[in-house]
Amino acid sequence: MQAIVQADTAGLARNLSLATVTPSFTSRSIVLLLVALVGQSFLIQTLSAQPANLPDLTGIWDGGGRARPVNGENIPWGEDNFPVLNERAVAYQQVWEEIMAPKYDCQPASSPALQYDPYHMEVTQWPDRVLFRYEKDDQLRTVWLDGRQPSAVDFSVQGFSVGHYEGDALIVTTTNFVFDVAGFDDYNGIPSSSQKTVTERYWRDGDDLRITLTVEDPMFLRAPASYTTRWIPAAKGYKIAAYECDAESSRAMIKFFPSKYK
Amino acid sequence: MNIRRWLLAIATTAGLALLVTPGFAHHSSTPFYDSSKSVSIEGTVARFMFKNPHAFLYLNVTDASGATAEWQVELGAPVSLSRTGWTPDTLPVGMVVKVTGPPARTEGATGVLGRRMTRADDSPIVSGGRVEEVTPPR
Repeated sequence: MQAIVQADTAGLARNLSLATVTPSFTSRSIVLLLVALVGQSFLIQTLSAQPANLPDLTGIWDGGGRARPVNGENIPWGEDNFPVLNERAVAYQQVWEEIMAPKYDCQPASSPALQYDPYHMEVTQWPDRVLFRYEKDDQLRTVWLDGRQPSAVDFSVQGFSVGHYEGDALIVTTTNFVFDVAGFDDYNGIPSSSQKTVTERYWRDGDDLRITLTVEDPMFLRAPASYTTRWIPAAKGYKIAAYECDAESSRAMIKFFPSKYK
Repeated sequence: MNIRRWLLAIATTAGLALLVTPGFAHHSSTPFYDSSKSVSIEGTVARFMFKNPHAFLYLNVTDASGATAEWQVELGAPVSLSRTGWTPDTLPVGMVVKVTGPPARTEGATGVLGRRMTRADDSPIVSGGRVEEVTPPR
């Protein structure tokens, strides 16, 4: 009885298989064709919405000491462009001390600090997105060019970035950051909130890649704050290195800090 | 040698002038080290931690009274040091090195920020490298 059931089951399976092979193949082909057509149409629409001569930002860029002064308490936020802080930000600064910075637990830097860290980064331009891969903290930012918007859950350390080309420049707008106790500048203990908006304008200046970056955050800043800087082309053959932040190495000097909290 | 070749030679020499501690970028040294002071030590490598964001060197240092203490030396980021020829094997256990730099701020701590560093015979750690940080501490 068991053998008969098995035989019947096998026969049924064969029949089903025979009955469905041809239609399944055909419908799969149609679906694939439709997907290809829709994809092609989308690609054409995306490309046609972009300027004919896109700025070539692609490559590996050196943001180290050869390109610009290394970041610190007065760089890139110095006398000329230091942000105007509100009372809330000043209160945070008053309780702040250096070792509170999440970087000592290997939390990655975010905008606007990440762009000024003196490391290499790689830019890749695709029709529907631009990828920024940072050597510092192994970070990857995706800038969407296809019109998508963040959902209610798209909050992260790097936020959600959308962009478009405008003349010879790439314009990037990033929102949906998570709160960060040192998210504006960890050298000066200035936090940032989920209301932070970072606007970046990238363009080529000869061999250099330049950026003007503007931060708005009504939770902590009275007015937008900006800096402009540059990257230079990386040495020929250079490849982005792995950072792989190590928790022990990140905190090893903490014991040398004379805390004001006893 | 024409001017172009001279410029090339100068550029090549500059490229070989490697720093022992490339500029700090992860954090400022000021909160942890007192750059108004300087300390010099000579010791034997007990451990070399070649990890980002900062390489750390641990040295067994014997003072004038014969007492030995472990000193922690902060160096640059391996991601930068690697570009100047450093590897995890650059400072093997047992190697003798000399270090000079601002001492740790905590009272009685045995720590230093490596601004100048050489082998026991005062030669650079990495062949052809510079022995002293050119950027003043922040």
